[in-house]
Amino acid sequence: MNNFLRQHSGKLKTTALILMLLIPFLLYAAALHGSAFQLKLFLALMTGNMLFLMKKG
Amino acid sequence: MTDFFIVKWIFAFLPILTVLVLMIFKNWSGSRAGAAGWVVSLITATLVFGAHPKLIAYSQMKGVLLSLNVLYIIWTALLLYNVVNETGAIKAIGIGIQKFSGDKSIQILIFGWIFASFLQGVAGYGVPIAVVAPLLVGLGFSPVIAVAVPAIGHSWSVTFGSMGASFQALMAVSGLEASYLAPWSATLLGITTFLCGIFAVHVYGGWKMVKHSLTAILIIGTAMAGTQYALAVSGMWTIGGFGASLAGLCSGLVVAKLKIYNQTPPSQIQSEMGLWWALSAYFILIVIVSSGVMIPSVKAFLGQVKLTFTFPEIVSLKGWVVKAGKGQAINVFGHGGALLLYSSIISFFVYRSKDFYKPHALKAILQETVKSGVPTSLGIVSMVCFAMIMDHCQMIYILAEGISRAFGSIYPLVSPWIGLLGAFMTGSNTNSNVVFGVLQQETAQLAGLSAALMLAAQTTGGALGSMIAPAKILVGCSTVGLSGKEGPVLKATLRYGLVITGIIGIITLLACFIG
Repeated sequence: MNNFLRQHSGKLKTTALILMLLIPFLLYAAALHGSAFQLKLFLALMTGNMLFLMKKG
Repeated sequence: MTDFFIVKWIFAFLPILTVLVLMIFKNWSGSRAGAAGWVVSLITATLVFGAHPKLIAYSQMKGVLLSLNVLYIIWTALLLYNVVNETGAIKAIGIGIQKFSGDKSIQILIFGWIFASFLQGVAGYGVPIAVVAPLLVGLGFSPVIAVAVPAIGHSWSVTFGSMGASFQALMAVSGLEASYLAPWSATLLGITTFLCGIFAVHVYGGWKMVKHSLTAILIIGTAMAGTQYALAVSGMWTIGGFGASLAGLCSGLVVAKLKIYNQTPPSQIQSEMGLWWALSAYFILIVIVSSGVMIPSVKAFLGQVKLTFTFPEIVSLKGWVVKAGKGQAINVFGHGGALLLYSSIISFFVYRSKDFYKPHALKAILQETVKSGVPTSLGIVSMVCFAMIMDHCQMIYILAEGISRAFGSIYPLVSPWIGLLGAFMTGSNTNSNVVFGVLQQETAQLAGLSAALMLAAQTTGGALGSMIAPAKILVGCSTVGLSGKEGPVLKATLRYGLVITGIIGIITLLACFIG
């Protein structure tokens, strides 16, 4: 797992950046439409992305 | 202050403290520490300050819109820098400058003060130190001095450098116009211009060399500070740092011809590319930015497409209200970043038509841009997003109220130190402005002080933080074989950073008393 993360560090960081910029748009749409499940799902994704960055950013 | 308020203040400070501790004591990068700050702010906002999923969702969307405004400039500034650097033009500019004087103090001023600021104007993000340090080593300076001189010398130009990314961030988080913020910011940074020049010389030659180069510092400093002020207040803050350093280059080349600075013969090294060709991309940039900002019909034409989102009123579970309104609009084709993009594309084709590129240059340019852009962007987005969570849950307001109550009328003395701290911990004036901009603004309002002056002190402190930020010192040291031996450089720059910040604090305090 660690080897994989090390080998693909550059691509994973780029993916993390794209997710970081994309998820808030999904959060905004979910908040506007009042979908509590989607809101929590996207928040969990955002938190997961940040936790990944804390580990490998 | 009640005990309960102090507890709330400590909780509100936790995310910032987390970033500080992780970056200073654990050597975490900006992106890692920013992500940790985001997680801590999410937890404290939810458990202590009444945040709920909808509030977090809207705050993150606002955060991304703010980030995109800053990233637009950062990515396109990096692109332009790589378009130019891939031709060998940056090296050619360095060689071109060397031919003008053999005087050590003039070399320090031209490379460490003016050329480093020019690079800050067009790129930033550690590039000035990384490029100038090896050039100074090549001229015979010790590696520690070679890193310390550009680190000190370029700091004044950070706010209006990088195509004004830090100033853009200050405007974005405060919601205030450039016309309101620019005069004080350009004034404090103008004073800093002279101080950076003096101390860049002092770190090498002490007061004796400062005395020898005083005429040059006064002439060049006046040209740079004056040009920066004129550009910033006339709406062209995007090229404030760049234009100022160009004015500095011109005046520096004239000053180098003065008799007192012309007693040692200059370098005879030749470059493959002429100085004017090397600078051509930046002339293109000046034409495009001037047209996009100063010609009303061009400005109106480019400003037709704006990306904007509306937000409803948001109330936290503790009753803190954020009013409904539009988020930060992104002017897709008229943004400073767009103007940089046009300049990059035209410059690329100009250089290619003259065969300055090796095969596959475009791929190398794009790869270099992504390589530098991604880590910087991760740090900025994570920090902006946690700052937005804090802003939407009253956390920043509580921090500001606490500082205002604790320092009262002498708060202006502290203001630049907060900016310095932010840049030291994040390695970026832009990040510092994002994290502490709203705090400074709200503290100023609570204390009845000028928000423009306090935000100017914030961004000046943030700019000065560049000379002591470990993130930037590390970059410089890596280019002159000092990796792992950054301590002596930091020790050299730290004293100057602290002295200049102290002087700016006193000036800010005096400006408040005078009115």
